[in-house]
Amino acid sequence: MSSRLTAIPQQLDFEQIKEIIPQRFPFLMLDRAVEIEPGVRVVGIKNLTGNEWFYQGHFPKKAITPGAMICEAIAQTGIVFFYVSEPANHDVTYLLGGMKIRFLKPVWPGDQLQIEVTPIKVTSRAGIFNAVVHVDGCQVTRGEFTLSVKDNQDL
Amino acid sequence: MATTNLEQEVKELIAEIIEMNPNEIDPDAHLVEDLGMDSMMALEILAAMEKRYKIKLPEDDLPKITTVNRAIEVAKRYVK
Repeated sequence: MSSRLTAIPQQLDFEQIKEIIPQRFPFLMLDRAVEIEPGVRVVGIKNLTGNEWFYQGHFPKKAITPGAMICEAIAQTGIVFFYVSEPANHDVTYLLGGMKIRFLKPVWPGDQLQIEVTPIKVTSRAGIFNAVVHVDGCQVTRGEFTLSVKDNQDL
Repeated sequence: MATTNLEQEVKELIAEIIEMNPNEIDPDAHLVEDLGMDSMMALEILAAMEKRYKIKLPEDDLPKITTVNRAIEVAKRYVK
């Protein structure tokens, strides 16, 4: 997607996040980016409230954050990394290629995900990244993922 | 590094990424057309070779990795 951001700030608020990533409710899993070093690292924040849509079904008697949604938050932080490192000047879509992930602790309503993404190997059209997710300083998820950039006209 | 070691290592590294038995891979088989590799796997191979041999491979080498033997050729250019 095209973005109206003209310069990359050191932090991004919710509205700026929406300028970069195409996901919207109920699939927007990033509230802020609090640390941005283009080409080096991005740290994103997702605040989980008990009101999230997915807690209705996961699970009705005990709300636990689905691992798939944590993966989505990681992937969206990866999109921000990609964008701030090499802004797209035309319509593109970011596709997740694969993920190797370990869920180390359950994540509950009220937790704040701190998602750090760092590159393993990045080219202009794709990247392999490390991801580490913390809640209150405690590592809850870690893994690797691949993300590619496709021109919308090629999809 | 002995050439035969490197050849075997690159083959094993590719086999792990494309989830095949290294002994079943024809080194001249096309990784995409014959073995079902996608573009992201090519990048994973590049990254795995960088990690294994502590080298930096430019993005320009990515399209050259079309077969196991071509990947070995790329690695040989950078591994002392």
